[in-house]
Amino acid sequence: MSSFRLFLIGILVIPFTLLSCGSDDNYIPVDPVVEDPVLESPVNYDLAAFPFTTLSEYNFFEGNLVELEPVYGVIPYNLNSGLFTDYAHKKRFVWMPDGSKANYVNDYSILDFPLGTILIKNFYYDNVQPNNTSQVIETRLQIKKEEGWVFANYVWNEEQTEATFDLNGSFVPFQFMHETELMDVNYRIPSGSNCLTCHKSDNDVALPIGPKPQNLNKSYNYSDGSMNQLQKWIEFGYLEDSLPEHIVSTINWEDEALPLDLRVRSYLDINCAHCHADERHCDYRPVRFEFNLSEDISNLGVCIEPHEVFDPSLTYIVNPGNAERSVIATRINSTEESIRMPLLGRTITHIEGAQLIEEWINSLTNNCE
Amino acid sequence: MKKLLLFTLACFSSSALLAQSYDSCTAASAETTITAGTYSVGTIDGDMPTSFCGGLTSNNVDFGEWIKYEPTQNYLVTVSSDLDTNGDKDTRLHIFVGTCGALQCVTGDDDSGDFTGTNSSSYLSVATFLAEENETYYIVWDDKWNDSSDFDFSLTEDDAPPVEEEAPVIFEQSSIAATGNYDSGLVDMNGDYLDDPVSISSTTININYQLAPDLDGTPNFNPVDITTTTADFLPSWSMAAGDWDANGYNDLLYGAGNGVTFMTANVDGTAFSETSGPEDVFSQRSNFVDINNDGLLDAFVCHDVAPSVSYINNGTSLIFENTNGLGDYTSGGNYASVWIDFDNDHDIDMFMAKCGGSTARRTNQLYENLGDINEDGTNVYQEIGVASNLADPIQTWSAAWGDYDNDGDMDCYVGSSTGYDHKIMRNNGDKTFTDVTVDAGVSTANIGHENVPGDFDNDGILDIYSNGSILFGNGDLTFTVYTNVTIPSVGSIGDLNNDGFLDFFEGSIFVNQGNDNNWIKIVTKGMGHEEDGLSNINGIGARVEINTASGTQIRDVRSGEGFRHMHSLNTHFGIGADTEINYIKIYWPSGIEDVILDPNINEVLVVEENTFSTLDLSDPKNDNIILYPNPTKDYLNLTDLQSLDDPIFSVFDINGRRVMNARLSDNKIDVSHLSVGQYVLRVTSGNKVLSQKFMKK
Repeated sequence: MSSFRLFLIGILVIPFTLLSCGSDDNYIPVDPVVEDPVLESPVNYDLAAFPFTTLSEYNFFEGNLVELEPVYGVIPYNLNSGLFTDYAHKKRFVWMPDGSKANYVNDYSILDFPLGTILIKNFYYDNVQPNNTSQVIETRLQIKKEEGWVFANYVWNEEQTEATFDLNGSFVPFQFMHETELMDVNYRIPSGSNCLTCHKSDNDVALPIGPKPQNLNKSYNYSDGSMNQLQKWIEFGYLEDSLPEHIVSTINWEDEALPLDLRVRSYLDINCAHCHADERHCDYRPVRFEFNLSEDISNLGVCIEPHEVFDPSLTYIVNPGNAERSVIATRINSTEESIRMPLLGRTITHIEGAQLIEEWINSLTNNCE
Repeated sequence: MKKLLLFTLACFSSSALLAQSYDSCTAASAETTITAGTYSVGTIDGDMPTSFCGGLTSNNVDFGEWIKYEPTQNYLVTVSSDLDTNGDKDTRLHIFVGTCGALQCVTGDDDSGDFTGTNSSSYLSVATFLAEENETYYIVWDDKWNDSSDFDFSLTEDDAPPVEEEAPVIFEQSSIAATGNYDSGLVDMNGDYLDDPVSISSTTININYQLAPDLDGTPNFNPVDITTTTADFLPSWSMAAGDWDANGYNDLLYGAGNGVTFMTANVDGTAFSETSGPEDVFSQRSNFVDINNDGLLDAFVCHDVAPSVSYINNGTSLIFENTNGLGDYTSGGNYASVWIDFDNDHDIDMFMAKCGGSTARRTNQLYENLGDINEDGTNVYQEIGVASNLADPIQTWSAAWGDYDNDGDMDCYVGSSTGYDHKIMRNNGDKTFTDVTVDAGVSTANIGHENVPGDFDNDGILDIYSNGSILFGNGDLTFTVYTNVTIPSVGSIGDLNNDGFLDFFEGSIFVNQGNDNNWIKIVTKGMGHEEDGLSNINGIGARVEINTASGTQIRDVRSGEGFRHMHSLNTHFGIGADTEINYIKIYWPSGIEDVILDPNINEVLVVEENTFSTLDLSDPKNDNIILYPNPTKDYLNLTDLQSLDDPIFSVFDINGRRVMNARLSDNKIDVSHLSVGQYVLRVTSGNKVLSQKFMKK
């Protein structure tokens, strides 16, 4: 394939022909490669008609839909640290209408995306039992329309040939292998109101969560080589070239070579910050997990007494040196609906995430007295 | 070699005596008692405690170590692991009294110590209790925490002090064979009007049917596991009970994070059938309540992230509907609805406790029932939070409504979920409320989500259960807060031994030891399932009023108070030292009013609706209250009713259904919206009842 290679050829050819043009008054026919139709994104852009009934109508992917092979203009991306969603793997893509681009606001806010932007997030599992197969469960879109960001959720059929719009919420029970462990999940596909609960901003306005400079600032292994994602977006024309020299960024919490506190702050930002922020769903608890606020670890609950005493023996939200006496470790380990955190998007325990939090709590030496 | 031996001896003599803990109650029982001194406990690997004392929980406990203690006289005994040498340890302690196999909790403690070692705070345990001569006590250390083995503890004996001031009533904790994952309710499940502990798992409804207690009041139960289909949704956020199909057996509603399951009792309450809606509901508080006042019980579920939902009873099933405009903020924030009659016009209003998000989303609401009926049969409600002064963005998960000053109207305790800024709002009797928190003495009440009214000492003054503390009412909208009561931080309230004192259930049972005060419990049995125009079978929504020498008290019959649990459906009154109840008056949701004169006290009274009614709708009096016109098209002009004190009028249709209900603001009633037919107009004021037929053209 691919659209990328063709795109690059296009870029290379254009300056060349312009140069030729400037150096010679004679008319030189434009190389037909430049006008190759693949340069225009084949995504079916009809903002008024969005969201479509089926995923295939958008034409985000070419070939076999389930392969999730993006067409020209649909760019894959990743985040430094991702939200845990019952061990689902994710493939994320961004698409913007021809000629429009996003703008940088600050390190920790989502980019100011242009009208018509579509964020595409596919949730899939490898090693689904009994036959160790791969299975795409759902594809979540956020589309920026005139009235603001709207949610569109597409549930994949069993044949893995199509996904259909459904914002009512549903469950998909199955088993999968996580490393060597067999796991049971009653996977939750969220309803529209579930979506808004995590994605809301002031006055219940829906916003994306992931695509902030702090989370995008990492390299991605594109089909034509590795490159910083933000640079790639600038190069492709999806982002105004106005980034500051340095972006305060989250890190990959899974990378054990990196500092423990930054891993924890990155993990808590992407998993917890969207609810525990001012005017958000759980703004009334004395914690703030946003990466730009969590350098002050009292915002993470260190030595902070909990309001909600579901177990009096848990003396602090984060009890330095004592994970088993910390609310946050108990909640992150729990699968009980009214105890577990995060509240939505998780029904089984994220073992590695819980271990990370416990390790961090047990490493703290602050004295709360 | 010699040196080492000396060292070992020195080690022992400098710290504690040899280990004297045992692996079971019976093993400890066979040994001699310990006396005042210091002792060592090794690895905790014996039997776990038989129950968990002092409100301690059972999770993560597998083992225990047992020590026997028999005092030679009455002492104030302190058992403590709070010793310098134990600084890094994390212990937990239970004290029992009695004989093995029949132990009762005395006290328990987790973290009252002071020594911290290298921990950030102390995890050592201290328990002090009054030990009586000739009793046998067992000290049990458990292994809930990681670093719980190999420590020393001390037992000290001090002179028994004069009795300390304690809460007006005390509770004794003991175990119960409740086997479910959710101890969600304390409500009658077999039609005998005795409260039964209900414990839910995905395929089991575990019910401890209440039996006659022992002579000393110890409750007895018949534990039964009823197998159900695997519930799609569990009562992880709340449970409500009510007999929606009116077969004499209460049904259950499980409110979960993604939907709602109904478990409907069969013809004799021995099995349940499941109905789980496909609707996505992030349940919070749930209620059974007759929303459209047709005599059939509906259900209401607060939605955390969308408008709240109703399940309307059509006589054969519960039909999912959106919110009827009640608790319908677009993105939710609806934490606890409580159905009350705040304006004393004898129809049910609703208060919605709200939390989270923007100020608008989390501002509490009050819905006034206007007494008229929409075209779809539902009652007309108006949200009057701002006008009533209850539109407060305080961040609460529930509010406790009751007449805390016995002045005849329902006041409101708004329990904060985020700080010690709880509020007491006095009902001014004119649909407004005044914040009287400053002098109320409620600031030390525990923070949390469970706020429920109840008269826990039967003194005739309502108290408030708030997250493990009890706010004992002083009768003037001030309270005395006790946070050291042996009750669960959240739990269900009811009467476990039919002694007329309110008990608790959550994990264990917490039995109110009572006092000499008198009481009555009233079961409101609506008869709408047998006769048109009468009320739902549980009488939910009824206003119950009793009058004694000390004055008048009121309650509303409610299914679903506080945030999570289902409390008794019986209406409980303490009446203090009063020995007579002059009358009980029940204002049913149907509009029927029953008056019972001089009932017996200290027992349960079952009242069937319309048995003692003051109004026979089939043969109304002709009191000539309508001046003109009759028949009428638009208005009824009434005679001068100024002699009546703040009268309420009701209009009943030919089937006896109340179709209008409100306070009479002037002598003119607009009936233009009624359909053509025959009606009865009733005007009531206190004990005066006037009625007359009229025809609508």
